Amino acid sequence: MNFKEIAKRGETGPLMEAGDFLMKRLSANVLKLQKSHDIRWDGKTLLNLDDAMADRLWEAGRELLLASGIFSMSSKRVIELSAAEIDEALRFAPDRLPMGSGKDAVTAFHRGVEDPRRPFVFSGPFNADTSEEMFVHLNEAFAQERLIDSLLFPGYLKVLDGQMIRPTSALSSRAAMLYGQWAREAVRRAGRPGMPITGHAVMALNEIACTNEAWGLRSTDPRAMVLISELQVDDVTMTRLAYYQAYGCPIYLAFTPLVGGYGGDPAGTAIVAAASFIAAAVLGGEVAHIGPQHIKYKQQTNAHSLFLASLANQAVARNSRIIATTSHTTSGRPGSGEEAAQYPREFSALAICAVASGSNVTGPRPAEPLGFNNVSPLMARLFAEVAHAAAGLSRETASGIVGKLFERYKDRIDLERAPKGQAFEEMYDVKSLRPTAEHQEVYDRVREELVALGLPLG
Amino acid sequence: MANAEETYARMRKAIEEYDSDAAAAAAQEAVDAGLNLLEAVEKGFAEPIRSLGEAFDRMEVFLPQLMLGSDAMKAGMAVLEEAIKAGGGTLETKGSVVIGTVEGDIHDIGKTVVAALLQANGYQVHDLGVEVPAGRFIEAAQSQKADIIAMSALLSTTMLYQRDVLELLGNKGLRDRYFAIVGGAPVTQAWADEIGADGYARGAYEAVKLLDSRKGAWAK
Repeated sequence: MNFKEIAKRGETGPLMEAGDFLMKRLSANVLKLQKSHDIRWDGKTLLNLDDAMADRLWEAGRELLLASGIFSMSSKRVIELSAAEIDEALRFAPDRLPMGSGKDAVTAFHRGVEDPRRPFVFSGPFNADTSEEMFVHLNEAFAQERLIDSLLFPGYLKVLDGQMIRPTSALSSRAAMLYGQWAREAVRRAGRPGMPITGHAVMALNEIACTNEAWGLRSTDPRAMVLISELQVDDVTMTRLAYYQAYGCPIYLAFTPLVGGYGGDPAGTAIVAAASFIAAAVLGGEVAHIGPQHIKYKQQTNAHSLFLASLANQAVARNSRIIATTSHTTSGRPGSGEEAAQYPREFSALAICAVASGSNVTGPRPAEPLGFNNVSPLMARLFAEVAHAAAGLSRETASGIVGKLFERYKDRIDLERAPKGQAFEEMYDVKSLRPTAEHQEVYDRVREELVALGLPLG
Repeated sequence: MANAEETYARMRKAIEEYDSDAAAAAAQEAVDAGLNLLEAVEKGFAEPIRSLGEAFDRMEVFLPQLMLGSDAMKAGMAVLEEAIKAGGGTLETKGSVVIGTVEGDIHDIGKTVVAALLQANGYQVHDLGVEVPAGRFIEAAQSQKADIIAMSALLSTTMLYQRDVLELLGNKGLRDRYFAIVGGAPVTQAWADEIGADGYARGAYEAVKLLDSRKGAWAK
C-alpha cells in the first residue's frame, strides 16, 4: 500500500474519539489476544527463551493491528488495514538498508535471534538538550568513535542566542538549519563526511529546514519519525513522513510501547509492540525502533522493559524481514566516580538482551538528562563494544549476564535516586576531545567488570 | 429498606469490576433506600477507587483498569450527586482541578493518569484534553471555579507553553487566584521555579501528594 492510500484513509476512515480508540479498540483487543494467544510474563524472566511464545506474539501483534488499525490524532479517523495489505507490507519490507555516502556508506540489516553478525549501532546525543556552544564538539566526539555506524539525533537546540525555541516559530526554522549545518560540520571534522546522520530535530514540522545536500542533512541521511503511544500518528508525523519519503531519505520509524499503559502488563504491551513493528513497516518505515517505555519508571532498563524488548524483538527477528533497533534509556547518567557505573551497567544489560534477541541498537541516553549535554561519547564506545560482543551469544548465556547486571542496579532505578552525572564538557577535554582520566576510569572499570561476568569483550 | 452495608458492598464491587452500569444501579439503590449519601460516596466509591489507585502505583493493575474504574465511579457519582443536590446538599470535594496537556503537545497518557488519580483521591477534575491553548486553561478555570490549574508537557519544545499560561494569568491579573502546577517528562523543579509555577510533580502520585500537602496554599 502506498503512502497516498495511507494518507487518504487518514481522512476517510471511521471517525472516533481517541479515548474510544485506545480503550474500546486497542485495550479491549489486547486483553482478548493475550488470552487467546497465551502471552504471559512469569514475573521474573528478563530475557525471553521461549520461541513458541515469540511466534504467538507475532501472530497476536498482527491480529491487533488488523483489528485496531492506526489512529490519526489529528483527523480522529482510523487508518484501517486488511490482512492482505499488512502481509504485503511485510513481504516487501527491506531487510537491508544502505545509508550515508562515499567511503562512509554503511548498511543496516535485519538480524536473527542469536545472530553472530555484529549489530548496527546508532549513537549520538540522542536528543538530549544540547547547548549551542557544545553542539559541534559533542557531535564530533561521537562521530570520531569508529564503532558508531550512524550519528544519532545530534541533539536538541532548546535555546538559541539566549532565546528558548518555540517549536512552530520562525526561530525553530533557524535552529533546524543550524542543526543540519552543525551536524554536517561535526562529521566532517571527525573525518567521516559521508557518515549517515539519523536526524530527528524535535522542532515539529519546521525540522525539515535542516535538509540541504550541500550543508545540511541529505537524502542519504535517515530521518526519524515517532509514532504516538499506542498505534497513533498525527499530521506533523505524517507530513514529515511524506516529505522525507519523497526526498528519498531512509525512513527510521520509532515507537515507544508503554508498559502499564493501554497495553497493560509487560506481556500485553509486547503485543502492542509487535503490532507497532508491523505498523512501522506498513507506514513505510525501513528501520523500526522500539523504545520499551514504562509508565512508572520512565526508562527502559527495568525488568518489565527488558522482558518486553527481548520478547518483541525475537518475534520480529523470527517472523519478518524488518530491520529492528532498540533504544536504550537509563536511570543512571554518565559521569565520573563510583556511582557512575550504574549508567553503563544499565545500558549493557539492555544491549545484551536486545542483541541476543535479534535487534540492532540505538542509544544510550539517560532517560532524564540533567541540564545540557548530559551524554558521553566514551560511554557510546562502550555501548557499541558491548553490543558487538553480545552478537552470537546464546540467549541462555546472555540471560545470565543480564541477570547479574540487573541485580547491581535494580534498587536504584528510581530517577530521583539515580546518579546525577555530568555534562560532556566536564567529562571531556573539549579541545582535544579526549575523556578526562576520571571519566575514563569508569569505562575501564565497567569494561573489566563485564569481562569478568563473561561478556567476550576481547 | 436495603441494608446500607450491602449496598456499599455492591457499589465497591461495581468499581472493582469496572462496571459503570452496576455502579449507577448501586448508587440509585442507595438513593432509593434513603441512605446517607455522603457516607455512600466515601464507603461505596471513594474507598475502592483509592485502592485501585494504590494498586496502579504498585503496578498490580494498569492504565485500562484505572480508566475503567474511574469511569465506573463517574457513572455512580453522577447519580449520587444529582440526588444530593436535589436534597439541597452539596458534595464535598477536596478541590477543583482544571488539567490539560499544553498547546502543541498531543501526548495524553501522563495527563490522563494524573487526572484519574486526582479524581480517585477526592478532587473534582475537569480534563481539557491535549493541545490546550493558554487562554482555554484560564477560561475553563474561571467557568469551573477551579482552585488548581495543572499543566502537562511531554516535550522539551512544548514546556514553553506552561510558562505562557502563567504569563497570561499574570497579564489578566488572575495569577493569585489559581494554584498552578506543572509536570511531564522534561519538566523539573528548576523549570517550575524559573517560570514561577506554584508546584511541580514528577509523577501522578506525587501530584496528589503535592496538592494534599499544600492545601493551605490553594484552598479558597
